This record gives sequence, structure tokens and C-alpha cells, in this order.
Amino acid sequence: MAQLHMFWPDGTALPRLEALDIFHIESGGCTGCALELASLSRALLAGNHPIRFVPTPRQAGMLLLTGSLTVGMAPVVELAWQAMPGPRVLAVVGDCAVDGGLFGGNYAVLGGVGVRARSNVSLPGCPPAPDEILAALVRWQAAEGKR
Amino acid sequence: MSEGIVALIRQGAPTPCAGRFVLEAEAWQAMIAGLSAADLPLLGLWSDGVQVHALFHHDPMPLVASVVVSSGGYPALSPVRVGARAPERIIHDLWGIPAIRGRCDPWLDQGRWPVASPLAAHPAPTPGLPEGREFIDDAAVRQAGGTVLGYGPAEGNFRAPFHLRLGLPGARIEAVQPCMGYAHRGVAARLRGLAPQQAARLVARIDAPATVAHQLAFARALHNATGTVMPAQDVAAGVMLGAMERIATHLDVLAQASAIVGDGRSATLAASMLEQMRQICRNICGRRLLFDVIPPAAAFLMNVDGTQLATLAAQHALLHRLFWRPRGLAAQARGKGVLSATMAARLGIMGCNARAAQKGQGDVTDRLEARLGEIGASLSLLAAPPESAVMEVEGGGGEGLGWAEGPAGPVWHWLRLEAGHVAAWWCGEPSLAQVQALPAILSGAAYEDVDLIVVSLGLSATGADL
Repeated sequence: MAQLHMFWPDGTALPRLEALDIFHIESGGCTGCALELASLSRALLAGNHPIRFVPTPRQAGMLLLTGSLTVGMAPVVELAWQAMPGPRVLAVVGDCAVDGGLFGGNYAVLGGVGVRARSNVSLPGCPPAPDEILAALVRWQAAEGKR
Repeated sequence: MSEGIVALIRQGAPTPCAGRFVLEAEAWQAMIAGLSAADLPLLGLWSDGVQVHALFHHDPMPLVASVVVSSGGYPALSPVRVGARAPERIIHDLWGIPAIRGRCDPWLDQGRWPVASPLAAHPAPTPGLPEGREFIDDAAVRQAGGTVLGYGPAEGNFRAPFHLRLGLPGARIEAVQPCMGYAHRGVAARLRGLAPQQAARLVARIDAPATVAHQLAFARALHNATGTVMPAQDVAAGVMLGAMERIATHLDVLAQASAIVGDGRSATLAASMLEQMRQICRNICGRRLLFDVIPPAAAFLMNVDGTQLATLAAQHALLHRLFWRPRGLAAQARGKGVLSATMAARLGIMGCNARAAQKGQGDVTDRLEARLGEIGASLSLLAAPPESAVMEVEGGGGEGLGWAEGPAGPVWHWLRLEAGHVAAWWCGEPSLAQVQALPAILSGAAYEDVDLIVVSLGLSATGADL
């Protein structure tokens, strides 16, 4: 059982992880969920774990969105999705990405992507903690592995 | 000279908001004429649809000059205060109010909003531009025939989206066009009509790295508007939570900057300290990111464990040594992304970035060093909290202004209450001035250094766009 040591002081126990390349887009929130994702990313990187965040959608298998979708970011998200190769999955993390949260639809915001598109991973919270995000990814990997 | 302008503003009609005066059109024009030779930094410019308000930095109390908007708009401040350029364009985007002799091209609305002037009384539907706004390249870029590179809005990082169009006629950046609005959520429109408690939840989520500063500034504005004193317990909580937020945000910046230059030891240490700080926040407030902590719950115990603080202080000393070691982060960032003290003053940039510019040449190293210093000062503050007194009320006639020192600079909130609900609101964020300074800061930089420079500023597009 691996340990995610950067989550001080006790670390978080990790099951065996499958390789996963994630492209993250902050699509218009307060960046709280993105901050927690950054914490998770650093911990995974420090532990040489096979889940990693990549700088381009062209090498990603998962598109992970945080924040409500603004009208300005909608075409950006669409382009990133189209640029992803092969089988791809969508994850929405945080209340805003799941259903809009406090930032529902208005002239500048379309709302949560979770209610507009079918997502493979959906994790509410404002914001969810890094270990909760990781647990959701691990649960999804385990469910996919059983299929 | 600035005292003459201050006297001119104070001759205007007083308002329920302490320090705000409504000027006649002629007095506003005279103020603009006098500002060109006065040392009175502009901190913010906004509108409520009826008037335009300009916030100036003045000791001991900030000063707000207002003018009623005429049918043709209002005389622009941007000819004498370059920091007014973006706010004038934002006012035009949101309200449709033009700045006479100012620019009116879009800043937030990149052609995709379904309505024009969404905050105006009668927003007009607009078909929008399916492809968005087109860029017009700078003459230097066109003549040099160089490369044009983009930065953002989706770089796979963990920051709010914005776009920079960078012209590189040679190896160095010469032209920078910021494109904002990707993170605009219409916060001002959302707040209208909300009860203060509902509004506070939304305000806490304007910008996560500065959430305490936003909550505190909003709470102060609300106390000033309602004429109620802020209890000493709340003031003390604000000081402590502000220090915790400052430590966490500065550590996040240092972790990002270290990772960008490939300094693994510093990056890991800063990230580890950040996690400790987040755990401390969770232990005290039940929240890692300090949302909804102002006003504090009665059960909050604002004491940080001495052992934890001692550990953090020791790690801070080590981080400081790593920062200054040969070929460390300081050496690698030296000379990059210079924000001069003059430029900071011209644009009304304050906070740690301005202090870094005054202390040194204002490059990335100076800014990161300033953040390191503030981490140490904040740890000392947590170890020995100062005595706090109640915050005295300024005003109390249904309109209030409040501010708080955020990690990247002062955050301002202004609000007007009607029947106990928010009728008008404005927020001044340091990021908007930083975005306006980007063309000067990035000029001459290598494309590879853009990420580092942006990170070192603590620039938050979500705060700039609102």
C-alpha cells in the first residue's frame, strides 16, 4: 500500500493506481477546486504515482473541469475535448462544475457542465479536499477495471 | 498639489458614504486637469449606472470622487491616470456608459455575451460574434513580421483563465495584448437584491487565494453601511485568518515558481509547508480554504498550536536558505519580469508587489523575496497575536466602503443597501492593475519566462474579471 506523504501529518493510504493523464481546465470559478487539485498534483508527482496532470489535451485521457462554465470558456473547453485522442472521459469536480453551485447561469455563465454533458466522474463539494478528489478517481478506476 | 485636488473633491456634495463626494461636471473636469500634476494614486473606478466613482489613495482616509453620468457619458480619467483604462472599458461593457476621450473597446465582453450592457436598466439582446473578437496586432509586430504566440486560457495549470497574445519579432517579447473576460461570472449582477448574508457567501468565492481579504473588506463595508461596529473578536479573527491566508497563498506562489524553474527541493518544501498550513486552517475553522469564516463562528479558537508554528518557522528558515543558495530560485529569477516602482505607482499597484519594487529593482526575485519575508512576519503574528479593538464606524447611511490587505495587495469593497438588501456593489482587486501592467512587465522577456512572471505577481484572472 503506497502512501501519499505530502498530506501532513499522517499521509493518505493509496491503493494500486492505474496510469491516467488528466488535462485540467478551470472554466470559471473561484479557483478553490483548482487549488486543491494543485495540492493533489504535487503529492502525486512527489510520490511518482502514475496519475498525472498534463499540459496539453493532446496527450490526455481525461478532461477534468472545475468551476462553472463561462460563455468565454465554452469554446475553449470544446476545442480541448476535440483535441483529446482516442477514448476520453470527462470529470467534473466541485459544486460549480457539477451543477453551477453559487454561479448558476446568467449572461456570462452557462452553468455547470455536469448538467449539460454526461460525465464519468462527478464530485460535488465547495471545494472537495485533495484526498476526496483522489478517492473519486480511484473509485472510478476500480469501477472501470471491473467492466 | 494633491492637497488642492483633495480640497476640490471635498468641496463636492457629501454622501452617506464617508469620504465620498459628488462633484459637479465642471469640478470633475477641474479635478482631471489637476490630477496630471498631482500625486494622488487612483485605486479604482466604477459605476452604479447613475454616477461614476473614482477611488483615490489618501491618508488617513481614502477619498471617492463621484460625478453624475450625462447622456454622452463622463469625462475619462485615463488621459491622466493610465490605471483607469481597463475600468473605463469595463464600465462600458457592463453599463454601456462611454468614457469621453477614453477607450470604449471591450475588455470583458469578447463578443459572446447574449446581451449588451448587462447591468443597465434595459440590457439589449445582441447576436454576439460566433468566433469572438479578433485581435489587431501592434505595429511593431506587423513591421517585424515576427512570431505571435498565445498564453492561456487553458494551459493545463491550476490558475484562472485569461489569454495573452504575445508578439515576438525576435527572441524577446515586444507586444503584449491581454484578453480578459474568460473568468467573468457577473458577480455584480448576482449580488444585486441579495441579503448581506447571502451576498457574503458569494463574496467569499470571488477569488479563493484571497477569500479572507474579500470577506473582511465586504464585512467592513457592510458595518460602515449599517453603522454597526465590528466587534473586537471579529477584528482579531480577521487579523489571524488574514495572516494564515497570506502564508498559504505565498507558499503556493513559491511552490509554483520553484517547480517552474525546476528547483525540486524548494518546491517540495513549500508544498509541504502549504499542506501543513491548510491542515491548521481545517483544524481551526473546519475548512482548508477559509471560505465563510468572516464573521467567525463563536466556536472558533483562534490559537495556532505552538509546536506547529515552530515547525513552520524552522521550515521557513530552510526555505529562505534554499531560495538564496547558488543557482537557487533567487539566482534563476533575477532580472526577469521587472515591475518598476514608477510603473507600480502609475497603475496604483500596491501590496507586496509594490513593496518589492520599492525595495529592489522589482524583478521576480524581489517579489518572491517579499513573499518569503511576509510569510515570516505572518508566522510571528500568529505566534503573538496583537490586541484588537472594535472597528469604529465610518458613515452608516446605507452605503459603505471597506478594505483589507490581501496576499497580492489591498482589496476594496463598496456597497449600497436598500431595504436591507444589496442595491449596488463594487470590488477593487489588485489583479486588474497587474493585468494592465503586463505589457510593460513582459516586454523584453523570453516566452519561457511568462509563466514564472505571471505566477510571481500572484495575478488572479478571477479577481480581475469578477
